[in-house]
This record gives sequence, C-alpha cells and structure tokens, in this order.
Amino acid sequence: MAFTLYSLLQAALLCVNAIAVLHEERFLKNIGWGTDQGIGGFGEEPGIKSQLMNLIRSVRTVMRVPLIIVNSVAIVLLLLFG
Amino acid sequence: MADPHQLFDDTSSAQSRGYRAQQAASGLGYPATSTLPQAAFLADPVSNMAMAYGSSLAAQGKELVDKNIDRFIPVTKLKYYFAVDTVYVGKKLGLLVFPYLHQDWEVQYQQDTPVAPRFDVNAPDLYIPAMAFITYILVAGLALGTQDRFSPDLLGLQASSALAWLALEVVAILLSLYLVTVNTDLTTIDLVAFLGYKYVGMIGGVLMGLLFGKMGYYLVLGWCCVSIFVFMIRTLRLKILAQAAAEGVPVRGARNQLRMYLTMAVAAAQPLLMYWLTFHLVR
Repeated sequence: MAFTLYSLLQAALLCVNAIAVLHEERFLKNIGWGTDQGIGGFGEEPGIKSQLMNLIRSVRTVMRVPLIIVNSVAIVLLLLFG
Repeated sequence: MADPHQLFDDTSSAQSRGYRAQQAASGLGYPATSTLPQAAFLADPVSNMAMAYGSSLAAQGKELVDKNIDRFIPVTKLKYYFAVDTVYVGKKLGLLVFPYLHQDWEVQYQQDTPVAPRFDVNAPDLYIPAMAFITYILVAGLALGTQDRFSPDLLGLQASSALAWLALEVVAILLSLYLVTVNTDLTTIDLVAFLGYKYVGMIGGVLMGLLFGKMGYYLVLGWCCVSIFVFMIRTLRLKILAQAAAEGVPVRGARNQLRMYLTMAVAAAQPLLMYWLTFHLVR
C-alpha cells in the first residue's frame, strides 16, 4: 500500500513519455490514428477516437520541451540517489 | 551577562542579543537583561535604519505574494467553497449518510453564479472534505496504534497515499470527461469536493470497526458505501447529464448512455476506494 505521491509522479512521467514517443508518420498513420485522418467534418460530436488523437497530438506538441528538462532532472536524481 | 556599554558600540551583537531576547525565554537569565539590550538596540540609529529597511523588505515581499498568489491558487474561488456554517454542515453530513429522502438536488443559482454553500445544501464545499481527510488520517493513526503497528512515518504514508489516490481519481475523471465531450460546468475544485465526501463514510466505518470489530466495520462501511453511491449518482446526474435530467426524461441515445455509464463508473469507484483505503486498518 505504499502508493505515495512520489510514485504517482513517476508513473505520470512514464505515461507522458510513452505518449511522446508515438511517432506520427511511422506509427500512428499505420494504425489509422494520424491527425490528418481524423477530422470527420463539422458535426457536433467529435467522438472518442478523434478526441484521443487530438489529445495525443497536443500532448506531444506541448510537452516536448518540458519533458526534456524533467527527464534530465529525473535521470540525474536517479543516478545520484538510486 | 555582558557589559551594556559594549552593546552600544557593536551593533551586530546588539541585534543578535535583541533577537535572542525576543525569542521564548530560554531561562538563562536573558529575560532579566532583555530590556537593556532592547533599549540599546532601538536607540542606536544604525540599527534603527536596519529595522526600517527590514520591515520595508517584509512589506514588499508580502505585496509580491499577495499579487501573485492568485495566479497559482485561485483564492477568491476557494473562499466560496469554505463559506459554510454549522447548519449546512449538519445537513450535508446527514445527506451523505442518508440521501434517500432528499427530493431536490439542484443547486440554486443567483444571477449566473451558484449560491454559496451556506444557503443551499446541494452546493459542494471543501470544508467537509478537508476536515474529513484530516480526521481520516488521525483515525488511521488511532487504529494503527490500537494494533501496536503505529509509527509516526506511517501517518505521513497514509496521508500521501490517500492524496495520491485522490489525485489519480481527479485526473482519471477529468480525462474521461474530456474524451466523452461532456459540456458541463463541473470545475476541478467541484470534482475534488465531491470526491472528498467519501472520507466521511470511511471515518465512520473505521471508528465502528474499532469499537465493534469486523462486523461493525462491514455493516457501517456497507451502509456508507451504498449511501455514497446514491449520493454521487444523484449529484453527478445533474451535472453530467444536464439536459436530459433537467427535464426528468430517462436517458436515451448513445451519447447519453455513455454519459450514464461514466456517472455510474465514477459512483462505483467510490465504494471500492472506500474499502481499499480502510480494510488494512481494521483487523
């Protein structure tokens, strides 16, 4: 039951890293989740799949630079303190 | 202890002497000499200037914090959630334990803003969740103590564990609300308030478990679980399924069905978490 805030932060970092490594051209297009394939017109409801694709694309765009910083800090801390 | 004349010349020792004299009496005779160095401290022009500079620095820092605090913590919005009184707290606690007879679950509005919790028992507040969380930690410490398993760092572990589950719940629900494109006025703080109401049931369960053993724990926890389930469904139905619920029409259509599933999932997660966070405390 040692579910601490620190482990939550670690899990969140790993999840965001996992989303950031999904490559647009090599992977997402091949499974039909590329962002140019998703927009289904101007209907009212985007639907879950296009919401997910939007989310992935925005996470990748926004978190690119902060992830570099946070990952470097995490690597240094883990090297120093195990 | 020291020569008072020396304090006039050496301002640094006068400052430190004055500061130490202002601290709680350490019983070493400082209270006896405290008036003398303080008089010397205040009369010296250089230390006067230093004091004025220090106080202006403090005032500037306070201004800076006051200006920028609103960027990080929405203080004015938080004040709304703490505008409670005893009658509201009593009624809300009763509602959390026995929501079956309450008829009208709508929050009253007053010119586009929700009414303060003091005036409407349906409005969410942060007082009960905050108090319940702290009480839960204390009760957990009590329970661990009666089983000889207590150590002070376990309290911190319980606290951060419960906070971590709360954060995870909030993130999961916000994510699913985004994916299902619900147009709701459910803010994050509202969500934290609703998710914090389960601590009340948890406290009741653990206390009954301490008094009456496992049977008491299961009975009270079962009752509180069902009550929280009904409470969450009735409250969230109004927020998430706004249009359909307002007309009283039973929900139809794929989109409304998805929203209904989401509401039921959120409500069902509450009893699970209530059990998960308390079962190890009652033996």
